[in-house]
Amino acid sequence: MTDTWLKRWLYTTNHKDVGILYFFTSLYFGFVGAILALLMRAQLAAPGSNLLSAAYYNQALTMHGLIMIFWFLSPVALGLANYFVPLQIGAKDLAFPRINAMSYWIYLAGGILAVLSFFVPGGTANAGWTTYQPLATLALGTGPTLAYLGMVLLAASVTLGSVNFMVSIIWLRATGMTLSRLPMFTWFMLFTIIAMLFAFPTLIAAFVLASTDRILGTVFFTSTSIQPSILWDNLFWFFGHPEVYIVLLPGFGIIANILPAFTGRPLAAKNAILISTGLVVIPLSFGVWMHHMFLTGIPVSLQGAFSIATIAISIPFDVITLSFIESLVRGRVKFATPMLFALGGVILFIIGGITGVFLSSPVLDRAFRGSYFVVAHFHYVMVGAAIFGIIAGIYYWLPRMTGRMYNEKLGKWHFAISFIGFNVLYFPMNLLSDMPRRIFTYPNQGDWATLNAMASVGAFIFSGAQILLAANLLYTWFRGPIAPANPWGSPDLEWTSHVEGIAPIAESGAAPPTGGWIGQLSGPPQGHETQSRGGAVGHYGHLSSRPIQISIGALVFLIGAAFYPSISGVAGLVVGAGAVVYAFWGWAKDDIEGKFVVPPEDVGDRWPFASVPKLKLGIWVFLSSEVVLFGSFLGAYIFIRAASAQWPAAGSIHEIPLGTFNTLVLVTSGLTMFLALQSIRKGDRRGLLTWMGVTFVLGAVFMGVKVSEWFNLGGSGFVLADPAMSLASSAYYIIVGLHGAHVTAGLLVMAYLMKKTSMGTYTKDSHEAIENFGLYWAFVDIVWCFVFPLFYLL
Amino acid sequence: MKSIVAVGVWAYMVLAVVAEVETFYLTTSFATVASVVTVLATSQAVAVVLFYMQLKDEQGSLRLFALIPIMFLSALLIAMLASLGGK
Ligand code: HEM
Ligand SMILES: [Cu+2]
Repeated sequence: MTDTWLKRWLYTTNHKDVGILYFFTSLYFGFVGAILALLMRAQLAAPGSNLLSAAYYNQALTMHGLIMIFWFLSPVALGLANYFVPLQIGAKDLAFPRINAMSYWIYLAGGILAVLSFFVPGGTANAGWTTYQPLATLALGTGPTLAYLGMVLLAASVTLGSVNFMVSIIWLRATGMTLSRLPMFTWFMLFTIIAMLFAFPTLIAAFVLASTDRILGTVFFTSTSIQPSILWDNLFWFFGHPEVYIVLLPGFGIIANILPAFTGRPLAAKNAILISTGLVVIPLSFGVWMHHMFLTGIPVSLQGAFSIATIAISIPFDVITLSFIESLVRGRVKFATPMLFALGGVILFIIGGITGVFLSSPVLDRAFRGSYFVVAHFHYVMVGAAIFGIIAGIYYWLPRMTGRMYNEKLGKWHFAISFIGFNVLYFPMNLLSDMPRRIFTYPNQGDWATLNAMASVGAFIFSGAQILLAANLLYTWFRGPIAPANPWGSPDLEWTSHVEGIAPIAESGAAPPTGGWIGQLSGPPQGHETQSRGGAVGHYGHLSSRPIQISIGALVFLIGAAFYPSISGVAGLVVGAGAVVYAFWGWAKDDIEGKFVVPPEDVGDRWPFASVPKLKLGIWVFLSSEVVLFGSFLGAYIFIRAASAQWPAAGSIHEIPLGTFNTLVLVTSGLTMFLALQSIRKGDRRGLLTWMGVTFVLGAVFMGVKVSEWFNLGGSGFVLADPAMSLASSAYYIIVGLHGAHVTAGLLVMAYLMKKTSMGTYTKDSHEAIENFGLYWAFVDIVWCFVFPLFYLL
Repeated sequence: MKSIVAVGVWAYMVLAVVAEVETFYLTTSFATVASVVTVLATSQAVAVVLFYMQLKDEQGSLRLFALIPIMFLSALLIAMLASLGGK
């Protein structure tokens, strides 16, 4: 292991490398999740067993769910997407390579927090993956806090990743890669990331509020004067239902992508599949979440509305499934391993989907809620459909990644044992509809013992089968016969460009396609290389140390936060924040010094956003996600406010004249920022500097007033500790604080931009950064337009 | 866009803030303040998005895209408040 080898993998920003990092990291987390699952199944194999205590069982259960969903399922799909989406659209890389690397390292840091949480005294979170509050608040200690903060990091990583993919898929398509030619996997990743973009912010909000409860003593979910459970349910499931499609769709995309290769005919009803998914499933997925709340006492009318919406959303899935079946029936099916897994995925999805429709009836749900029937339902869809689809993709693309062929016989055994093991594991749970889920042991009653024993045997068979996958990966990598360049005869770019060299991915012509992992793992780091074997050869790839530095800083910062207010906690906060600032500073410096340059992309097909520049599109996409983030926080506040019987009268806490003054200051800074922009649009650098200076001063005044307000409020008894004030002050400090953090970040960026302006960087024709900052600053302005009246006047 | 338009938008923003505060002082009805504030704050947001962020000059597809989060968020806010009713 050489220095350069290590440096390459730590600093890489190349999409293939990052894809491989995602891939192996997610497999590792999948392994951790599987161990936790096996512990549970071992405990449940017989009634009255005491292998695991109740406390350990609950932790295993909770972290199994979180780790599998967030650190295995989505990331393994993102790994494949990292590798193949750019290839499929004919791009050199993703739109923002460093941000891509940062997404990966932040994902890993979040995972480290989650795993660390097991090892602190008292253990980790134990209220289930849904982390139902206030139940979850009963678990004290830093373990759950670490896990929550891990979730926040993960969600941040996903948000950055979705912005990146969104812009890439829109902006980096090669000429001729019109949307109608987009391969199905890329289409489905596009759907997935759109759902991610708008669902994850609510998850961030939920976990940030739950974390501040634990760290700072806010009372969002511990207050007894409202029903915090309903607040949590709304936030969590508004995210949670789209999330189930987020984990499902990549697998579906793979199935749709590979069916033609194995049925010998084009995908049946392709447009029907796209329309069903893009125009029905995705929008509607944000309007069904209350089917997870049928038994929480929400009004009957809401139950009816959400029940119907849920039944409606199963219709597009019928379209998709029927189209898949049509492809299978009409085609001449070749049963290679990828096809077997795809077929298995479709079959298991049908079973899981049908059980889901039962659950969408509030009446039936009364019987099934909280039982193993639900556990069966979601494992059929998540493991059956989603993971089988992803495994199909792994086999399908393995020849492209390694340049070698996997072992077909081993692959078929892998499928057979997985499929049988899966059903032995989960089918009995369909029959256990009278057994509550999430219990750590059970009495010997009815057929519970038999069915549970079966499930446990199935669990070991199913997980054992995955050893065959690992074996096949190793075999392929080291021993596999050289793969034909396009083994499946696919028309997609990731295969054809590789063969014909027509696409922008410059592969080495010298060596046969033995590249991929092998070439990459032994090759010199990119950025310095000119020629080596296969894989990333000739790729412009650059190294950057900043993404991993930022991630380490964030990790230290959040560990510090979990241990706040102990001395070591405070130290962690300071060191971590310092590291993050240092790394961002370095990032900016790299840019100023031109150390990290992304060469311009070739002009390609950019409909429907052809006239929006790349970075600007990125900002808009990011801000649209921020809308949901702030909206979720403000929504939580509005909910609390509406649910509280008592609330401090408006005007009695906050000084309205001062607040009004400050609002006018910020509003004015919106104008001055705009004038700064107008100046540079005319090429007037002086004007830019002046107006931005004014904007900076106004922003600083705003923050100054805020800080003085906080001090006064703290002194006048508006504190968390006062029961009459605790909810109001929780909401005020956290939400206004969050806005303040955005303003402060804006000030820092402005300082940087002014320095660059004085260096003469910006001109009439080249001042994209200023334009984009203008968007951000206006957004911060808008948020305050809501914060001010909500907190000061109502 | 002319700078004079930007100044006009600013004037509107200021007036809207003043109107919000005046409404608060002039009426004791929570419902009135709440509705006035909702309408004015939303109008301010629209003004900033259209003019300072210049969405009005952008491609139609981007304008459409900007509506997506608003749609989802409205669903969340409305249903969340409605879910309180069942207590
Ligand atoms: C065919 C369409 C589907 C329908 C109609 C449906 C319906 C439902 C309903 C009504 C529930 C609530 C059950 C309860 O807790 O009592 C539920 C739970 C669940 N569903 Fe689905 N579902 C469908 C597809 C999916 C898919 C595709 C996935 C994931 C890939 C999924 C994952 C889940 C999960 C994880 C839960 C349990 C959440 C928990 O832990 O409480 N569902 N489903
Ligand atoms: Cu759901």
